[in-house]
Amino acid sequence: MATPTVEAKVERVDDDSRASTAQTVRPNPLREGLRLERMAEPCTMVICGATGDLSERKLGPALYNTLLGGFLPPEFTVVGFARRDLSDEDFRNHLLEGINKHSRNKPAKPAIWESFARGIEYHRGDFDDPAAYVELAKRLERIDRDRGTAGNRLFYLAVPPNLYPEIVNQLDRAGLAASGTHRRTGSNRGWTRVIVEKPFGYDLESARTLNRVIAEVFVEDQVYRIDHYLGKETVQNLAVFRFGNGLFEPIWNRRYIDSVQITVAETVGVEGRGDFYDATGALRDIVQNHALQLMAMFAIEPPVEFTAEDLRDEKLKVLRGVKPMSTAEVATNMVRAQYVSGWVEGERISSYRDAPEVVPDSQTETFVAMKLGIDSWRWAGVPFYLRTGKALPSRVTEIAVQFKRAPLALFARAGVPQIDDNVLAIRVQPDEGILLRFGAKVPGQGLQIRNVNMDFRYGSSFAVDSPDAYETLILDAMIGDASLFTRDDEVERAWEILQPVLDAWQNGAGGPLHFYAAGSWGPPAADELLERDGRAWRRP
Amino acid sequence: MTDPDIRAALEEQTVHRRLMRFGEAESLATPMWEERDTTIRAVAGHLASLWDATQPLEEGAAPTITEKGLPHARASVLNLIVTVVDDPAADRVVHTLMGLGVRHPSRAVVLVPEPGDAPLPLDARISTHCHDASGGGDRICYEEVVLTVRGEAAHHLSGIVAPLLIHDLPTHVWWPGDPPFNDPVFDQLIEFGDRLIVDSADFVDLLGGLRRLANLRRRSGVGDLTWERLAWWQELTAQFFDAPRFRRYLPNLSRLRIQYAVPPPASSRHDEDEEVAPGVAAPMVQALLYAGWIATRLGWRRHRTVQPLDDAGFRLRLEGKHEMVDLLVEPVATDAVRPGELLSVRLRSLGETGAAEFIVDRDGEDAMVATNADGMTALLRRVSMDAPRESELLSSQLTVDRADRVYEDALRAAAILLASAREVAA
Repeated sequence: MATPTVEAKVERVDDDSRASTAQTVRPNPLREGLRLERMAEPCTMVICGATGDLSERKLGPALYNTLLGGFLPPEFTVVGFARRDLSDEDFRNHLLEGINKHSRNKPAKPAIWESFARGIEYHRGDFDDPAAYVELAKRLERIDRDRGTAGNRLFYLAVPPNLYPEIVNQLDRAGLAASGTHRRTGSNRGWTRVIVEKPFGYDLESARTLNRVIAEVFVEDQVYRIDHYLGKETVQNLAVFRFGNGLFEPIWNRRYIDSVQITVAETVGVEGRGDFYDATGALRDIVQNHALQLMAMFAIEPPVEFTAEDLRDEKLKVLRGVKPMSTAEVATNMVRAQYVSGWVEGERISSYRDAPEVVPDSQTETFVAMKLGIDSWRWAGVPFYLRTGKALPSRVTEIAVQFKRAPLALFARAGVPQIDDNVLAIRVQPDEGILLRFGAKVPGQGLQIRNVNMDFRYGSSFAVDSPDAYETLILDAMIGDASLFTRDDEVERAWEILQPVLDAWQNGAGGPLHFYAAGSWGPPAADELLERDGRAWRRP
Repeated sequence: MTDPDIRAALEEQTVHRRLMRFGEAESLATPMWEERDTTIRAVAGHLASLWDATQPLEEGAAPTITEKGLPHARASVLNLIVTVVDDPAADRVVHTLMGLGVRHPSRAVVLVPEPGDAPLPLDARISTHCHDASGGGDRICYEEVVLTVRGEAAHHLSGIVAPLLIHDLPTHVWWPGDPPFNDPVFDQLIEFGDRLIVDSADFVDLLGGLRRLANLRRRSGVGDLTWERLAWWQELTAQFFDAPRFRRYLPNLSRLRIQYAVPPPASSRHDEDEEVAPGVAAPMVQALLYAGWIATRLGWRRHRTVQPLDDAGFRLRLEGKHEMVDLLVEPVATDAVRPGELLSVRLRSLGETGAAEFIVDRDGEDAMVATNADGMTALLRRVSMDAPRESELLSSQLTVDRADRVYEDALRAAAILLASAREVAA
């Protein structure tokens, strides 16, 4: 007799993208104790927009390196889906060229590649043509039969965001979006997941619309929004650093931390992305996703468990603590600027407005400096200064924690000037690592104090090729671990924080657009933002 | 690696002592500090001065500060104690360690005990090797201390090595060659380390060695380079059964055939004088450990010996969960790969829908991996099968910091399988 409990369980599984046949079979006894525990399940990855730049530069190399590492199961299959008229062989060569150019292991080994390439197919079709999806569904079923991919599908939307709604709806109509146990037949059709690339919307309104469109077709835990910053080792290490060590967590709060600076600096100008960038700007391009995500990861409360949902709940809590600004606050707490010609890394960069496809009187910001606060028990009163920009002097992403000063200037009597604050800098790129700065006595007679750096670098302690962020993230999606992906409510909350800024700037009320020479650390107004508070930007 | 290879490698190493190519990274070696008839205090003092930025530079030495005027960051993750029998063995070890520095910034103390009467108790040479990391002036460095200990002191090595270790770091004891399980010095040193690393392919008395190793109780367990050589074979084998539809074949395995490489008969060799290459005292051990691994993971029991050990091959009948299992271990004479390396693994199973076979066949640097099940042969692929170098094996073992239960199970099972094959009491 079928008990109600069993039925209830089946219903629930229906909505769970992570339900897989693996859970109903006993675990593989030969896996126990093996080093490679992060093995992907057999699946087919469908790359929508397969002939584009992302496939060549990132996805092909990421898959190849994941394969070399032994993380891809033998059944794994790739289907490239795009408009261009290519043969399977053409598409394989497209990927192979990308690997030979961009992979950290290159060139591809011929025998390995040939064997992998047998599992790569190309599916030609227009994204708005229902027949193309019907054919795709047939192809995927055939692959399930022939290659044993067990109905598990990962759709990678490597297309401009305006195509997302079309593709998502077409997938649904062709019956390709469902996941888990089949409602009528009770058979398990495997999981379906979809990877979405940033930008997640253009403003709050469009982000909500995009989320709604996706949510009509997919359940949230089928959706993996990629922010490749979260795939970087240091960002993952942030959690280990804080919660795996007993030393740092007790001082990780307003009592000991004076302020936090987050810098995401690029040396390049807009280079060839003029039309995209001019419509986007630094706030949307970097702050909405990378910078706020870094801040959230930095500031989270310890999650109850280290699971995707708990982690993302905590990140959301941080973002909810950041209160959206009034127009007046935008004018005081935000600085926007645009670069004019200058020299970076020995090369001349011409003014932003002279770049191709940028309108001559563009008001788009290429630099943002801002002051935020998190209204939480832990962080109340601690300013978070964020800055990001193009054409800055060096390419660096880091979070710098400035600790409070020692309460007494004990050494002032000896003529020693006030010692600088202790700084803990967490560098995300280029050389990932953690640096602690503190004062020490200079040896000799008398009392002289100098700052010294204690420097931990990934490069000098673990000389292992770190996997590229895409490798980590694609494998995570195949395994069903969403920890390093952003959830719909996080995305919307980030837009809620920034929407008043966008509005104020749009209305010309949020302060003027400043200008800075390429190769400088932004306009004087950015420095003044901190000087007002008696602080200064770090030179990273 | 054959002996001439090693000699060539060592020569090359001498020539490029100052500047070595290391994959992409260039290695800078400081001039060697060498002192005969020295004291441990002098050695420790010199080690401390290596990182002292105020010391004047010797000519040609790698500067101890970066271009920015900061001292070179010195990160260390472990101590490594190595004991070798003689100077040539020490050179071989040093060569292996060079491949290690880039992954494990560490201090290695290589001990060459020479018991007997000797007027000069201690010779020392110290060198550091740094690799430029990421081109940003960062360096990954490791220090290597080679100590020749003579006379009475050779019986008290732990006291020699203690002052030279970096405190608070895990200490691994690597014993290349056949470990003297009955020597008190061996006990002393492994007592000192958190973890012992050996290569069971070096055991001259294989059965005795496996048994001793299985009964050794160490805080962080025992590591075995031969087990590390099996890692990729294990991964490929496990992958067969990751797919749930093939996993059901696993309890019904009825035959496991393992082929491994043995050197061709001596008469066919070109060079009669050639010594046996290192690491082949017990070529069968890799096959034994693999069989022991499968047997313990699947709960097989010993049943009877069908064909006792003869010319490095044997056949046993084991009792599986549902089926009786034939275990065949067969030597294949070849010089294409290092003696002892696995050449082929075939697992046969009787499922509900018929027989299935899971195959890994090595073919030079690649392997062919195939599944014949459910009437389907489509799952055929080629995978990379590079033979790892000793330094890579060691490097990988050094990342382990706890007892490896799966290995210990396999080790005990390997001893039992070997005893059965020899028809002696297990």
